[in-house]
Amino acid sequence: MTELFLVFLINGLLGVVLVVVNKITGPKRTNPIKETPYECGSPYLQDRIYPIPIKYYMVAFLFLVFDVEVVFFYPWALIFKKIGSPALIFMFAYIAILGIGFVYAWKKGAFQWEK
Amino acid sequence: MNTFAALYPLLSIVVGALVVLLLEVFLKRKNRDYLAFISILFLLNAGRECIRVWNQGYTYFDGNLQLDNLALLLCLILTLATLLVILISMKYLRLQNVNFGEYYALLLFALSGMIIMVSSTDLLIIFLGLEVLSMSSYALAGLKIEDVRSTEAAVKYFLLGSFASAFLVFGLAFLYGAAHSLDIPAIVNFFRADTSLSLMALAGLGFVIIGFGFKIAWVPFHMWTPDVYEGSPTPVTAFFSVGPKVVGFAVLIRLFQLYWSESLNSQIVSSSLWVIAVLTMVAGNLLALRQRNVKRILAYSSIAHAGYLLVALLAEDNSGLVFYLFVYLFMNIGAFTAVIALSKKGTEYLDLENYKGIGFRYPWIGATLSVFLFSLAGFPPTGGFLAKFYIFASAVHEGFIWLVIIGVLASLISVYYYLRIVVYMYMHTATNDIEIDAYNPALFLVLFLCLYGVLQMGIFPGNVLIIIKQAVASLPIF
Repeated sequence: MTELFLVFLINGLLGVVLVVVNKITGPKRTNPIKETPYECGSPYLQDRIYPIPIKYYMVAFLFLVFDVEVVFFYPWALIFKKIGSPALIFMFAYIAILGIGFVYAWKKGAFQWEK
Repeated sequence: MNTFAALYPLLSIVVGALVVLLLEVFLKRKNRDYLAFISILFLLNAGRECIRVWNQGYTYFDGNLQLDNLALLLCLILTLATLLVILISMKYLRLQNVNFGEYYALLLFALSGMIIMVSSTDLLIIFLGLEVLSMSSYALAGLKIEDVRSTEAAVKYFLLGSFASAFLVFGLAFLYGAAHSLDIPAIVNFFRADTSLSLMALAGLGFVIIGFGFKIAWVPFHMWTPDVYEGSPTPVTAFFSVGPKVVGFAVLIRLFQLYWSESLNSQIVSSSLWVIAVLTMVAGNLLALRQRNVKRILAYSSIAHAGYLLVALLAEDNSGLVFYLFVYLFMNIGAFTAVIALSKKGTEYLDLENYKGIGFRYPWIGATLSVFLFSLAGFPPTGGFLAKFYIFASAVHEGFIWLVIIGVLASLISVYYYLRIVVYMYMHTATNDIEIDAYNPALFLVLFLCLYGVLQMGIFPGNVLIIIKQAVASLPIF
């Protein structure tokens, strides 16, 4: 346990020491080009992050929910025969909860691209 | 016994939340009040189910959900708290223009998370419940969409809360590495057998304590409390000040009930919790002295109360702790109800200046608020006095003399800021006219229920204590 602790300590200290030594001893010659954000050497394309419409997030959320649902389906299908009817009930309960969420999002207009 | 009946209270809450959510999109805007009544029905049903399975010891999900008596009692306390919060928010939501149906659904979801937390002994399941609670809480804090302070509260709560959750998961990983299990009995057994100081397990326990300390608002982790309490809609603040505290301490009761021993790790944890308790009691009360906003005063007072509750945890006085939580529910929700009563369309009167002369203009609100404040300060005929008395008595019995001395001095400080509100209400003449139109029967029902609770606990606590003793006796002994 103490060895592990020492490893963490040494690694942590090493990180701090390297950054500090670099800051103290390194030369500081800057020019405007050096201060620009790095975009693979080409001149940068936009000067800030533009706001993204919240509609994209809605669609992404819903996509994620139903994507994860499928992930749960595979193991369920594998052990379905072993468990039998309770498995069916549980999965239907799960889908019902997701369905309610889906209906809610629909009625709230999450899919209306243009109001 | 492993039976589906163990799921009924939780199921009632979750189904209620889903029904409310569905109805919200199909119901017309002016009919939204029905949603409150529907959620109250489901809450009452959940409470009935809790009472029905009392003393049965039902479990489900292979023992991951255990409805022992302590879990049932805490479920009842939390359901009651949510019920009171829904009652006080009906008129408020309309007046402050935040009448969203999702409000009730979120409250019920938060409650379901808390029920999961109090009725499990697996720390991973508890973490799951905590996340359900937290997600709903973040949304509830930011319910006033057009109010900058509410949005600020939501963002602060979300950032700091998810950071605290990360701490908790980190601690769980360490604990699993050391004890090879996340079941609380296994972890405690590991600590009791651990004679050489296991750094990994100790670090894990520390991180877990930090994660829960954030929700409970102990002092080094309390920074979010005043801002979030001030920015959130007032009924939500009342909910925050009771719910997360109850579940946090419920988990800690289970974690620490057999943990204390003569071993080195136990002494380290005990002494660091001692320091946290002192800091929480002293800092919470001192910081409250300078506040002029009533919600901020109550926020700091809730921090201080978390400190008193920690004293009970250190003194192994589980029944005293549950009794304190019970009393705290009534006096705190009562105080917030009185604050909600003093509001009108679009504005809330939160500054101390506005409380001048309230005691004579609105005698019922003034009188009940005074009783709740006396109880929070710990004056004799109220429940607050007995709760503090039990805790400090058992702490003296366990040999925490200095802790008790500091605690009593801190609660002496608290008398100043609680009574300052009373002084403003009764001993200043009103300078500005305030108009309130939040009068409504539900509000007064809650005021008098809380008044009854505080006085019943203060004068005839016997029946409640018997139930609490039964509940605490059901804690598993391993």
